[in-house]
Amino acid sequence: MIKRPQVFLYTLLILLAAIWLLPLYAMLTTSLKTPREVTAREFLTLPHRPNFANYVKALNSLGRGLINSMIISLPATALAVFIGSWGGYFLSMFKFKYAQSIFFTTAIVTFLPYHIILIPFTQLMARLNLVNTYPGLILAYVILNAPTAALITSTFFSKIPKELQEAAALDGCGPVTFYWKILLPIALIGIAATAILVFTLIWNEFLLGVTLTQGSSVKPAMPVLAELKGTFVAQWHIQMAGAILTAIPPLLIFVFLGRYFVTGLIAGTLH
Amino acid sequence: MNYNFKHLILFLAPLMAIVALMYFMIIWTAGVSMTEWVGLVPSWKFIGLGNYTTLLGLGRFWVNLQNNVIWLATFILPTAAFGLLLAYGIELSGRAAFIWRPLFLYPIALSFVITGTLWAWMYDPGSGVINTILRALKLDFLAGSWIASPKLAIYCLVGTAIWQYTGFAMVLYLAAIHGIPPEIREAAMVDGASHLQIFRHIIVPNVGHATLIVVATLAIFSLKVFDLVWVMTMGAPGHRTEVLPYLMFIMAFQQYRGGVGTAISVIILLLAIGVVLPYARWAMKKWMG
Repeated sequence: MIKRPQVFLYTLLILLAAIWLLPLYAMLTTSLKTPREVTAREFLTLPHRPNFANYVKALNSLGRGLINSMIISLPATALAVFIGSWGGYFLSMFKFKYAQSIFFTTAIVTFLPYHIILIPFTQLMARLNLVNTYPGLILAYVILNAPTAALITSTFFSKIPKELQEAAALDGCGPVTFYWKILLPIALIGIAATAILVFTLIWNEFLLGVTLTQGSSVKPAMPVLAELKGTFVAQWHIQMAGAILTAIPPLLIFVFLGRYFVTGLIAGTLH
Repeated sequence: MNYNFKHLILFLAPLMAIVALMYFMIIWTAGVSMTEWVGLVPSWKFIGLGNYTTLLGLGRFWVNLQNNVIWLATFILPTAAFGLLLAYGIELSGRAAFIWRPLFLYPIALSFVITGTLWAWMYDPGSGVINTILRALKLDFLAGSWIASPKLAIYCLVGTAIWQYTGFAMVLYLAAIHGIPPEIREAAMVDGASHLQIFRHIIVPNVGHATLIVVATLAIFSLKVFDLVWVMTMGAPGHRTEVLPYLMFIMAFQQYRGGVGTAISVIILLLAIGVVLPYARWAMKKWMG
């Protein structure tokens, strides 16, 4: 027997889920329609003949940006997570006087909106001749995300039993060997969750991509997608195709590594 | 494990160098905000609080500040409330939870540029998704100019952010609900308490720390919202959707008035520090265990 409150609950959940999925559905169907179907307001029905030409057009504008985003995001993620976990490890697993102050000062700059240092940041990059270069953008994202990675990994590391460290020390294992040989393998899930979150943050970032690039040579996908809105004004079918193309990496992560993504997301609040 | 000073430097120097650079940049910003800035680089000519008085005399600044306050006032509460209700609903659905959760969570994985592009299409007054659906349902009278309307535009942006962040609030509340000892709820069930009573008297009072995280995160977001404004409205109509970070960008990078730009940065810093400082203290205490 189905109880009334349950019918109510499921009706409500289905209704809300429909609202939450509507934008995704509209994005997909619009991206497969011809301009005529869009202006005739026939974009919400399933397409009879999917118009993949939209994706070819969008990719012509976005291709370079997508490649740039990969070239920048992957090494920046690796470096930020390495520097972060390297420091986060010492911070959380060794007793020393200033550990708390370091955690506190790092947490403050992690949570503050980075917009407030945008002006000196671009000045610094210009001084170093790093504007509009891959190394410049990679460095910028490492600086921005290493503190975040340090805090997240340190919350994972602080749960590792102290006995493990003591036992390793008895076997003559030093801090550096411990990081590579013992910590990395046992904290792999935490580090993977951190890397997934940091990658998504870098891939999705917009403001630095705008201020640290000129032209299209190294510009990441997000600023290019924003420009696409200007190039294809009111050509929603192309804009939606472009939005889907740039959403693919984060959506793939969400679908296939969802558990790690959520773990990283929650750890990112220092829960 | 034994370690010496060399280890301390080896492990912490790269991280501390980055953190120190960030503090240096904050101090630099505060310094430059008190100088005149003409052209592409700071001139280091001290003018005291001149840039701040310029700002305070600027109507556009007050509109922007007010818009940030509207974000704080209208974004946080609905997002947290939706998140908590959904979390409880999903929790009640039992084993089906794993189906529901991603349906509400997926927007948080998308960038603001993507969701902004998408929702600009949803809200488009001409042939947009929302108006098309309303017309198809014979609800023409509800079809509006949405994002083009001076009154509604900012709430359209807030709506997009609510859609994007509700899932985030939901997972934090789900984690908090899982942390409540099941015996408490079971005992209430045995006593004949309804789901609504359990929600009011057991769930709500026991998810305080999740509320703290959600409110702090959403408040910080309200102060730094930028990408959505850029992509959806460029601050239009008028300056009705413009916010302080956006004005900072325009001043510094389009009008080359870095002094005024850094002054806005300092004002954002002062607003944000009120949330960030207590939150960082809380996080540190929690981390120490």
